[in-house]
Amino acid sequence: MPRAGLDRALPVWVIAALVLVFLMALPLVWLAWLSVSSEGGATLANYRAVVADVALRRALWNTLVLAFWVGLASVAVGAPLAWLTARTDLPGKGLLRALVLASFVTPPFLGAFAWVMLAGPNAGLLNTLWRSWTGSEHALVNIFTMPGLVFVVTTYTFPYVYIMVVNTLALIASDLEEAAAILGAGRLTVALTVTLPMVLPALMSGFILAVLQALALFGSPAILALPAGFHTITTQIWSFFQYPPKVEQAAAFSLPLLLATALLLLVQKRVLGRRGYAAVGGKGGQRRPIALGAWRWPALAACGLVMACSIVLPYGILAKAALSRAWAQPLTWSNLTLANFTFTFVDYGATQAAIVNTLELGVATACVGAALVAVLAYVSNRRLVIGHQVVGFLALAPIVIPGVVLAVALFIAYTRPPFVLYGTLAILFVAYLTKEMPTGYAQSDATFRGIPADLEDAGRILGAGRLRILRDVTAPLARSGIIAAWCFIFIGVIRELSASIILFTPATKVMSVVIFDLKEEGQFGAIAVLGLTMLALTFGTVAIMQGLLGRDVLGARH
Amino acid sequence: MPGVTIKDLAKRYGDVGAVQGLSLTVEPGELVALLGPSGCGKTTTLRLVAGFLTPEGGEIWVGERCLSSSAGVVPPERRRMAMIFQSYALWPHMTVAQNVAYGLRFKRGLGRADREARVHEMLRVVQLGGYEGRYPGELSGGQQQRVAVARALVVEPEILLLDEPLSNLDANLREEMRFEIRRLHEEFAITTLYVTHDQAEAMVISDRIAVIEHGRVAQVGTADDVFLRPRTRFVAEFIGKTNLIEGVAESSDTLVCGRLRLRVGGGLVPGAAAAVSVRPHDIALAPAGGAPADALRGTVTRVSFLGDSVDYQVAVADSDVVLRVETPVGRRFRAGEAVALTIAPGVCVALGAEEGA
Repeated sequence: MPRAGLDRALPVWVIAALVLVFLMALPLVWLAWLSVSSEGGATLANYRAVVADVALRRALWNTLVLAFWVGLASVAVGAPLAWLTARTDLPGKGLLRALVLASFVTPPFLGAFAWVMLAGPNAGLLNTLWRSWTGSEHALVNIFTMPGLVFVVTTYTFPYVYIMVVNTLALIASDLEEAAAILGAGRLTVALTVTLPMVLPALMSGFILAVLQALALFGSPAILALPAGFHTITTQIWSFFQYPPKVEQAAAFSLPLLLATALLLLVQKRVLGRRGYAAVGGKGGQRRPIALGAWRWPALAACGLVMACSIVLPYGILAKAALSRAWAQPLTWSNLTLANFTFTFVDYGATQAAIVNTLELGVATACVGAALVAVLAYVSNRRLVIGHQVVGFLALAPIVIPGVVLAVALFIAYTRPPFVLYGTLAILFVAYLTKEMPTGYAQSDATFRGIPADLEDAGRILGAGRLRILRDVTAPLARSGIIAAWCFIFIGVIRELSASIILFTPATKVMSVVIFDLKEEGQFGAIAVLGLTMLALTFGTVAIMQGLLGRDVLGARH
Repeated sequence: MPGVTIKDLAKRYGDVGAVQGLSLTVEPGELVALLGPSGCGKTTTLRLVAGFLTPEGGEIWVGERCLSSSAGVVPPERRRMAMIFQSYALWPHMTVAQNVAYGLRFKRGLGRADREARVHEMLRVVQLGGYEGRYPGELSGGQQQRVAVARALVVEPEILLLDEPLSNLDANLREEMRFEIRRLHEEFAITTLYVTHDQAEAMVISDRIAVIEHGRVAQVGTADDVFLRPRTRFVAEFIGKTNLIEGVAESSDTLVCGRLRLRVGGGLVPGAAAAVSVRPHDIALAPAGGAPADALRGTVTRVSFLGDSVDYQVAVADSDVVLRVETPVGRRFRAGEAVALTIAPGVCVALGAEEGA
């Protein structure tokens, strides 16, 4: 059947889809190929080397331990917090929600730095205070341990569980619980027999997301585990790139991590998809807050403790370090200084270039990325090309690729002909574009889902072509959603560390990499200044985005 | 003012044939309702005519213009049609005036002042004068409906398509809008296809009704035709309540079903199995006592008072036929009472054989 003049915009859709396929396929194919290659042809020697090495096996084990405990702890913290803020008469719920959001967007490696200053065994603030109060010789806590690492990672990972649970709770109408109450169930029984089973898929799903985060994380283990003398998979892959680089082994070590994350996401999809009661309730379900009674204040105190660990103490110590000559000393007038700011922004050579690089990359990636995901989401929502289902799948696929693994793949793909990008900002751009695609795509997809096709059809039948309708109807309606996607991508780029740390060269440093360098030099004041700059950028962007979406970025509520 | 001719139209969704060889002619200036149950292919047909879907086979003509055939398909924007959607599909970011004026942007040689005048005039026609600056979100459902109507009519389309336009309104408003749409049709006389699943709506609004079954036209005719002279069992059952009596034709005007003999208007093939349709309100009941000896007799098994009529279920004597009978309020029978039934030959409609029946 010929389609004379059916769609003059077809090339746009096809090109966007091909760009996507290219972005995804090239690095992953290279990664798989290099992991089985040697000078003498195909081989499994790289995998054998990985399995045989005791140190590598230990890194694998450490990662599993870390991921499991982080998952469990995130559920233990995130789920009660979600219930308290969603369903009870706890005071200060709005503030708590805002703080969870703050913790969600805080770059985990900044949190890790802050906790080094708070709970380092020698100079850590909490330990100094402990010694001066008790006169003890010993440290109260040591953050450079596995439990310390689990604690710090959990502090910035529990929001994933929180989001899943709070959005599910928001969909469960009170009458479902009241139906149980009228039959004679007490408050605890209702919670255990009605509410809990309904949020169980969300809980499990949140657990898996938290585990995934912990698996893929590079910054916190690099800051806390390396000084403690142990490796995780991500730090191990990074160390393969220290001189002399062992790219093939890095590739062989990356694939198991990739498969593990893919598998976990598959499980998560199953868990969420099997029973559709995330959507229970629908409309008409009123939600009345549950009275906590005497438990209000203890509950609030517990929430306050979580927020202190995640936001108040870390941000406080960062601010203190930024403003003092010696961060470990008390904040007196003589210790107060702005020297850290001049040092960071003027004296320290790498900073200015890094800030410029970060902003350039952030804006470029966000602009290209937002445009690309908008077109892709449109193509897949309106079924404009054959295989539109694949478009959606591919755009979301990078979510299974940990940043470090992505970097290894890109390093391999773009250090050899036909595409030599290594050493340029372009390779970082490609890395960020790929890594932030899923977040941006999910946002755009939701946007276009909210614009019924009828609105476009109504214009076409009156005489407007498809491109004209895109301009007159679709674009104005999708505008705020697409800008929100822009912001999501921008935030993701300016805080990115795990791919940057492998792909940067001296000429292409970004802020996160400079922060990491400063650690080697022990410049905590400068780290704090740069970290606060990064946070200011992030929160500024979040504020713009929330204004545009008319809701906070944690939830689906309008 | 051209008409629409649809020939052998076909559209599949995967393995399911949504439209299978549908043919229909709409005369110039005529309003034809596509009536059928959900999933019968009526909306798909409308979207094929609009050009939102590409058919696998068949042709669509408007007057002398071929819009769709195996040689090519004209895109929706060049079909000179207008459509009113079930969701109204008003653009939330445009005011009422901007919504209505949108289609006029694509009319050549129409000045700004002309456009504004026509928008203004059309809004007055649909009784929305003064609402130009409002946004759709600030209007009631009925007002949004009127904006959608104005937006479609203002471009003076050759063909007007309506996809269940009243199904989102409450019952009172729906009834009012039926007459309103009929009034506008009489005023503008645009050739119109109207999709609905509501037979009362189709009867009020349309010149002719095309009853759609499984992606084909089962019967097309005036409201009288499809109600009084249904051709198939599907049409008889879908339009209004009816009693279906199956039996064997004894002659061209007599159907035998066990001991029950029915006089039919004619049209039966002697010796063949056949079915006739009798509307419940075409059967009269009388006390069994005074009836002639050869009268059809039965026993009332259920009585329901419906306010403006009484609904009976009557088991016909010496057969397993059970008939629904609807009588005016007046002489009432009780359950268990013996009655005599009168069925005039003219009200028994012989139904043709059909696929799957």
